[in-house]
Amino acid sequence: MHELPLVKSIFKSVKQKAEENNAARVVMVQLEIGVLREFVPEIIQKYWDYITPSTILENSIIDVVEIPASAQCSQCKNVYLLDLQNLFSSVCNQCGCETGTLVTGREMKIKGIQIE
Amino acid sequence: MRDFKYIDLKECILKDNDGVAEEIRKLANDKNIFVWNLMSSPGAGKTTFIIRLLKRLSQDIKIGVIEGDVESTLDAEKIHAFNIPTVQLRTGGSCHLDAAMIKKAMDYLPLDELDVVIVENIGNLVCPAEFDIGADLQSMILSVPEGDDKAIKYPLMFSVCKALIVTKIDTLPCFDFDFEALEKNVRKLNHQIKIFPLSAKTGEGVEDFITFLMHEINSKIKR
Ligand SMILES: Nc1nc2c(ncn2[C@@H]2O[C@H](COP(=O)(O)OP(=O)(O)OP(=O)(O)O)[C@@H](O)[C@H]2O)c(=O)[nH]1
Ligand SMILES: [Mg+2]
Ligand SMILES: [Zn+2]
Repeated sequence: MHELPLVKSIFKSVKQKAEENNAARVVMVQLEIGVLREFVPEIIQKYWDYITPSTILENSIIDVVEIPASAQCSQCKNVYLLDLQNLFSSVCNQCGCETGTLVTGREMKIKGIQIE
Repeated sequence: MRDFKYIDLKECILKDNDGVAEEIRKLANDKNIFVWNLMSSPGAGKTTFIIRLLKRLSQDIKIGVIEGDVESTLDAEKIHAFNIPTVQLRTGGSCHLDAAMIKKAMDYLPLDELDVVIVENIGNLVCPAEFDIGADLQSMILSVPEGDDKAIKYPLMFSVCKALIVTKIDTLPCFDFDFEALEKNVRKLNHQIKIFPLSAKTGEGVEDFITFLMHEINSKIKR
C-alpha cells in the first residue's frame, strides 16, 4: 500500500540527479531491492508511468536488481545464502550451524540512472 | 549518435524518512526519553499488553503512548482512561506509521515530563518493519493463535526486531503452536533476538519482559 510514497521519493532523487547532470531525458532507473522487501516491479512501473508524464523522466524504465537474502553465521562468521522458501533447512555451508544474522536482503536503493 | 550516460546514485529510497527518524532520535536524546516501537498483526494483543505494562509500571516511570490506527480512536481512549498522555494517529488508510507522523505526534506529548514513549504501530506484519521511526527498541508481538510459521512468511519484521513477544500463551491448549519451530526459523535470520512467551491476560511471563525492558530503558536514560 505504500508504493506511491516510495515512487515519489525515487522520482524526487532521480529528477534532481538528472537535472544536475543536464540530462535531456532519463532512459532507465536502476534499483537495488532486497528480496525481503517483497517489492513488486510491475506495480512500481505502473505508478512511475502515472507520475512521470511531461517530465524528463517520461517513458523511462525501472530496472529492479533483486538482492538475495544472506546471513552471517553466528559461529564461524561465514556469510551464506538463505533459502527463504526453505528457511527451516538453511544452514551455514561452512560449519553447518543453524543460526545467523541477516546481512543482505533488506536493500532499498537507487543504484543509478541512465540519461541522454 | 545518441549519447547515453550511466550515473551512480547509491542512495537509499527511504532517505527522507530516515532523516526524520534521525531527528526523532536527537529529540528523544535531548529530552532523555526512551522510544519503544511495538508492532504486530491486527488483534495480536498490543493494546492489552500495553495496558498491563501501564498498570505495573506507571508508578515507577512516566509513560506516554502514541496509538496508530487506520481508523477510530478506540485504543487511545482505552489508554487515556489510565490517565496516560496519549496521541491517536489516524492514518486514514495507510498501513504503517512513518517517521514524519511520529515527529508530529511527539509535539502533542509533554516530553519534558516523560521517560518513555510507547508507539503502538498499525496492525500489519509487513509495512511497519520498512519504516524507521527513530525508536530505541524495535519489538513485535506474535500471538499463539496466529501460528508458529510467521517468521517464514514475514521475515523482514522478524529480522528488524530486538525482542519478540509471544503472547496469548494461555490459549496454547487450543492450538498446535510449536515454539521450537518458531525459534528455529527466527534464529536463522536474527540469532540474537530475545523471545518472551507470555500472557497479557493471566500475567504469566510478563515479569521477564519487564526486567528486559527496564534494563533497555535504564541503559539509555538517566533517572
Ligand atoms: N486469551 C488471551 N487473549 C488476549 C491476550 N491478549 C489480548 N487478548 C485478546 O485479543 C484481542 C485483541 O487484543 P488487542 O490488545 O486489542 O490487540 P491489538 O494488537 O491492540 O489490536 P489492533 O490494535 O486492532 O491491531 C482482545 O479480545 C484481547 O482481549 C492474551 O494474552 N490472552
Ligand atoms: Mg490495539
Ligand atoms: Zn558457520
